[in-house]
Amino acid sequence: MSLAKIFSVSSRVRATGTGGIVVRHAQYSTPSEGKVEKVYPPSVSGYKYVNAEDPNMSMKEMSNRAAQTLFWTELARGFAVTLAHVFKEPATINYPFEKGPLSPRFRGEHALRRYPSGEERCIACKLCEAICPAQAITIEAEERKDGSRRTTRYDIDMTKCIYCGFCQEACPVDAIVEGPNFEFSTETHEELLYNKEKLLSNGDKWESEIASNIRADHLYR
Amino acid sequence: MSVGKILGLDKVVTLFNIIRQNGGIRASLYKLYRQDELKDGVLVGEDKFGNKYYENPRYFYSRNRWVEYSDKFNMDYDGSQIPAEWFGWMHYKTDLPPHQDPSRPRYKWMTNYNENLTGTTAQYVPYSTTRPKVEAWLPPRKSSV
Repeated sequence: MSLAKIFSVSSRVRATGTGGIVVRHAQYSTPSEGKVEKVYPPSVSGYKYVNAEDPNMSMKEMSNRAAQTLFWTELARGFAVTLAHVFKEPATINYPFEKGPLSPRFRGEHALRRYPSGEERCIACKLCEAICPAQAITIEAEERKDGSRRTTRYDIDMTKCIYCGFCQEACPVDAIVEGPNFEFSTETHEELLYNKEKLLSNGDKWESEIASNIRADHLYR
Repeated sequence: MSVGKILGLDKVVTLFNIIRQNGGIRASLYKLYRQDELKDGVLVGEDKFGNKYYENPRYFYSRNRWVEYSDKFNMDYDGSQIPAEWFGWMHYKTDLPPHQDPSRPRYKWMTNYNENLTGTTAQYVPYSTTRPKVEAWLPPRKSSV
C-alpha cells in the first residue's frame, strides 16, 4: 500500500487493485491470503496472454522440438499453407474489370458544369481562384456580347492541384466541381494543363454522374 | 452437411458451371487469358460500347460486380472505357443500373463519353482561350517593295 501512496494512485484504482501496485500482465491471488502470488500466464477467462512463454522443458516436449528441427517439418507445413492459398479466393480485386467502392464525395478530375438549358454556370466570380491553396486556377473574365459576365480563360494546372475540394466549396453556382473520374492519367505533363474547353467538355461528359453524386449528398450539405 | 460438401465436390461443380456459363473450354481459356479470371454471374446490362456488366453476390464486396470489356477493344481494354452512366454502379455508389435509374439527367447538350485518349492523336493539347495581352510588334510593311 505504501507504493500506491508514494505514486499517489487514486483511491479508485487502489480499491480495484489487489496488492497495491498496479501491474497489468500479472494476476494476483485474492488479497485475503496476505502473500501476493503471481501466476504466469494468467488464466482469466476472456483474456489472452500474448507475451512469450517459457518452453516446456520435459523430455518428451524437448525431443518433439528437436525432431521438428531435424526433419524440417516446418518446410512441409509451409508448402501446405502455400498450396491452400492457391485454391483460396484472392483478397485483391482484378482492377480494370472489378473496381473498388467510391464515395459520392470523391474528389477527382475537375469539370465545369452547365445549367439544364445548356448555359455555362461559371460567372467568373474568381472565388475558386482566390481560395485555391495551390494557386492552380487562373481566370480571366470579360463581358459577353449579351451583357453577361463570363470567363474567357479558366485554366487549371492539374499538376499543381492538391485535390482539396475548396474550389467546389467556394463556388456559389456549383459550376466548378471535382468529378468522380480518377482515370485521367496522361503520358505528358502538358496534357494536364486544362483550359476552359477541356473542363466544359469534362462536365458535358460526366454530368450524369456528377448530378447523381450531388443528389446523393444533398441532405448533408 | 452433405458428403459432397465435406469432400469439396461442390467446388468442382461450381468450376464446371463457370466453364459452361463462359461458353465451353476454348472460350473459357480465352477469357482467362484476357481477363486473368473466370467468374460466373448474372448479366445486369450492357452499355453503348458493348461492355457487359455482371454481378454475383457470392463473391465478396468489391469483387461481386465486374465488367467484361467489349470484344472490339481486344486487349486494349482500359479502366476509363466505362461510360459515366455505369460509373456509379461499377463503384458501388448505387445499386441501380442506369436504365433503371429515373433520376439520372439526360440533357441534349450532354456529349458522348470517350475513354482517356492520352497517347493517341486525339489527345487533349492545351491552348489559350484568350488573346495574349502582350503581342509582338509587327513592323509596318512598305507597300512600294
